[in-house]
Amino acid sequence: MTITERLRICRTYFDGGMGTLLQKEGLRAGELPETWNLTHPSVLEEIHLAYMEAGANVITSNTFGANRLKLNNLDLVIRAAYDNMARAKARFGGNSDDVYLAFDMGPLGKLLRPLGDFPFEDAVDVFAESVRVAAACGFDLILIETMSDLYETKAAVLAAKENCDLPVIVTNAYDESGHLLTGADVPAAVAVLEGLGVAALGANCSLGPQQMKDIAAQYVQCASLPVVINPNAGLPQVKDGKTVFDVDADGFAACMRDIAKTGVCGLGGCCGTTPDYIRKTVAATRGLPFVPPEEKHDTVVASYTHAVSLCGVPKLIGERINPTGKKKLQAALRAHDLGYLVREAIAQQEAGAQILDVNVGLGGLDEAALLPETVEELQSVVDLPLQIDTVRPAALERALRVYNGKPLINSVNAKEESLATVLPLARKYGGVLIALTIGEDGIPATAEGRCALAKKIVDRAAACGIDKKDIVVDPLCMAVSADDNAARVTLEAIRLIRETLGVGTCLGVSNVSFALPERQDINAAFLAMALQSGLSCAIMNPCSDEMMRAYRCFCMLQGFDPHCESYISFAQTHPRTAAVSAAAPTQPADDGNALPPLMYAVAKGLQKQAAQTAKTLLQTEEPLSLINEQIVPALNLVGERFRQGSLFLPQLLMSAEAAAAAFDTVSAKLPQADGKKGTILLATVQGDVHDIGKNIVKVLLQSYGYAVLDLGKDVPPQRVLEAAKETGTKLVGLSALMTTTLDAMAETVKLLKKELPGVFVMVGGAVLTQEYADLIGADGYSKDAMGAVALADRFFACNET
Amino acid sequence: MSAEITLLSGSMETIEVSRKEALRYLGVRGEPAPELSALLDRARETLNGSAAPRAVCRRLPLKTAGDRLDFGVFRLQSRALAKNMAGCGESFLFAATLGFGPERLLLRLQKSEPSFALVFDAWCSAAVEGWCNEVNARLAQNETLRPRFSPGYGDVPLSLQRDVLAALDAQRKLGITLSDTFFMTPCKSVTAFVGISGS
Repeated sequence: MTITERLRICRTYFDGGMGTLLQKEGLRAGELPETWNLTHPSVLEEIHLAYMEAGANVITSNTFGANRLKLNNLDLVIRAAYDNMARAKARFGGNSDDVYLAFDMGPLGKLLRPLGDFPFEDAVDVFAESVRVAAACGFDLILIETMSDLYETKAAVLAAKENCDLPVIVTNAYDESGHLLTGADVPAAVAVLEGLGVAALGANCSLGPQQMKDIAAQYVQCASLPVVINPNAGLPQVKDGKTVFDVDADGFAACMRDIAKTGVCGLGGCCGTTPDYIRKTVAATRGLPFVPPEEKHDTVVASYTHAVSLCGVPKLIGERINPTGKKKLQAALRAHDLGYLVREAIAQQEAGAQILDVNVGLGGLDEAALLPETVEELQSVVDLPLQIDTVRPAALERALRVYNGKPLINSVNAKEESLATVLPLARKYGGVLIALTIGEDGIPATAEGRCALAKKIVDRAAACGIDKKDIVVDPLCMAVSADDNAARVTLEAIRLIRETLGVGTCLGVSNVSFALPERQDINAAFLAMALQSGLSCAIMNPCSDEMMRAYRCFCMLQGFDPHCESYISFAQTHPRTAAVSAAAPTQPADDGNALPPLMYAVAKGLQKQAAQTAKTLLQTEEPLSLINEQIVPALNLVGERFRQGSLFLPQLLMSAEAAAAAFDTVSAKLPQADGKKGTILLATVQGDVHDIGKNIVKVLLQSYGYAVLDLGKDVPPQRVLEAAKETGTKLVGLSALMTTTLDAMAETVKLLKKELPGVFVMVGGAVLTQEYADLIGADGYSKDAMGAVALADRFFACNET
Repeated sequence: MSAEITLLSGSMETIEVSRKEALRYLGVRGEPAPELSALLDRARETLNGSAAPRAVCRRLPLKTAGDRLDFGVFRLQSRALAKNMAGCGESFLFAATLGFGPERLLLRLQKSEPSFALVFDAWCSAAVEGWCNEVNARLAQNETLRPRFSPGYGDVPLSLQRDVLAALDAQRKLGITLSDTFFMTPCKSVTAFVGISGS
């Protein structure tokens, strides 16, 4: 019987703590416990044997930190760890067929990007190396444990899956609030790990059995797989100068009995537990009837913090990050301005989207590189689940790999080619598939035809190991202007597919109104009709007032909005008479002089007012005169006050943001070339993960009308060089925050000067001085953001052709 | 793992955050303008809703010889720290953090609202100092303590963070990790020595 089978049919016991036992045997603080596999083999053998005799079925190797970041004799250590267990198993007098040897993997001690600086694929690579050694040893399973970051957990699972055929069990470490340190909750972890195809999952470490009860209950409630719970022996406390855990073996066993009753299949211990704890846990739970794991049928996607169920209340998928028909987004993608996409994402989240569609397919761009990069960029700031939207399998796979969570996959269709490429990817990485009812002959004209194609996809997915709960069917809607029955057939298909196949549905709602006037009214009506037909999720623009009204009303009328609270709060914040009063011709200024309205809004840092005023003024005034007579003078006024010390950096930034908002509105009316004064490349150097200073410089430069290519933080010298070469940018700004990264700055400047002698390099940052800037050969230095603007102005004035 | 490490948690509602300190980080002199004051209020509310102040602390034996210090779990040479620790036979070592909530918000705000991000960043810096003050005060209940001293000050290299965080098991207990260039994540985290006088 494999461990996977065993966990499903009978209660399985895991062993307990290792560290505390080794310390008792003389492991010194700071010594790597893994080295004891080589230096103290008999100690390890005895500990493993003691756990077997206590009744543990799963014995874990002493390899928590056995990876190449911590050990340089990885191969020897892992083999020795296995041998120590194998000897114990050979000596074990009980049923050794019922003992499974687990290769244990703990976290790397590195935080992955974007929160930290360690690349995801590097993490996969480090874990993979350990897995390959372990696979050659003869272990029965891989146990990934004490993971406090969901992303790193995914890296470890992928490494295990790609480098061996052993079953993988994962236990994560939660804090008292029921979250992993980087924010994920239990439903998110379950969604991701079940999607990745682990054999069992659960929690270990951090908490005692009492505090773990709630987490165990959450697991049982949302997991279809067997749940494993390995708590600490309570919390550590100091008594008479010695550390003891506050739950003894009897108390531990009593709690574990309660946990077993709730339907947890695997029981064991972590820090502070000993063979005695396991023996007593076995004794306390042996007589209890086994509760097998129960299959759950919810359709669930997840971000890196939370899960979103596509059952129950219908969900909104924001459609704005898709270049089709969106000129500004197209321009942003061509200029590699991912900041624009991030702002679109935030705006949609604030408008009420629960999931965001991400499509960056645009002719001439390398989608296989751009899509994963966009996913990472969005996930650094937006915690909504994403819908990865591409027709290119290579782009899809790379995005699925780096996505932190369980995504929606948009899409698969009923054509052979699509089924053959997309289904295996969904199976490997996990995700909920959007199934388009398109066959080899196109989209069927009838609801029955579309339902038949949906059934074909559901069946083929099932054959591939994908449950129908991980499929949402999109029956598609054509423009009603081209076919009077388009909407009616789609609505019928929604109902038919839901009733006959028992799967969820989704729909791009806005297509229906194509080529008709007052589209938002049509969209809103159609949305309400589709929801009434049972639509699970609508792909739409959440910034559309009409559609959001329809959605809120539907939810309330359908009984999804207790006490009408959501509707009332929406209605109060979105009054129908939201006409913005035109700005007054002049506004009083601080010093008593009247300022023109746009100048006033910018000087006071009123972002919305600045954009609105600019829009109003554009009806009567020339765009260039607005820039030259109001926006720039306002910035100069604020800059002057900043220099005098009567106004400070936050206010300067507020004005810059207001100016950028106004500039954005105004420049839309300008011929393209006039919009920008010049292009500047910015980067925070390698090793530096703090870039708030660089971001301030960026905002100011943009507000003065420059185009900024922002390479972000922790940028290797080579990358700066390549970007400068590719874009032909003549002015490069580099920032560094701390002394430890000054060398990287020197290296970057040197490389740029050597390879691109014509490029002007300006540097800045907390620890930089004019002297150091001169020393490393930089062309310009600025002590603050205003100085950077002055340098840029001077540079482009001198280099104008 | 390591036994004698104590875990502390605090609440932003009770931690005293110095407005003056936050303004100093922002380079603001004198009374802040109303719009700035409003941003500070918003920063306070935002932080109170997102922070989870935690700390780990360990009491270490200390042997000194000249400017060599031996804390048992690691040794170092530092004139400045030796001066700070003169006469102490023991020292507390702690790591304190505001957690990943504010960290994620900072990333997001820098992209969506740079001016508020700046103010929020400054407020968080003042808040983690406030949290350290509270940790210090809790440690001082039964002891007389020296002023706290953090790696990176004076001649104590930032690279010592590796040993400090390992001695406190801070990665496992608080999720604090170190980059190759010795930056801590979450960035609103502090490590410090606090000498115990007369010990």
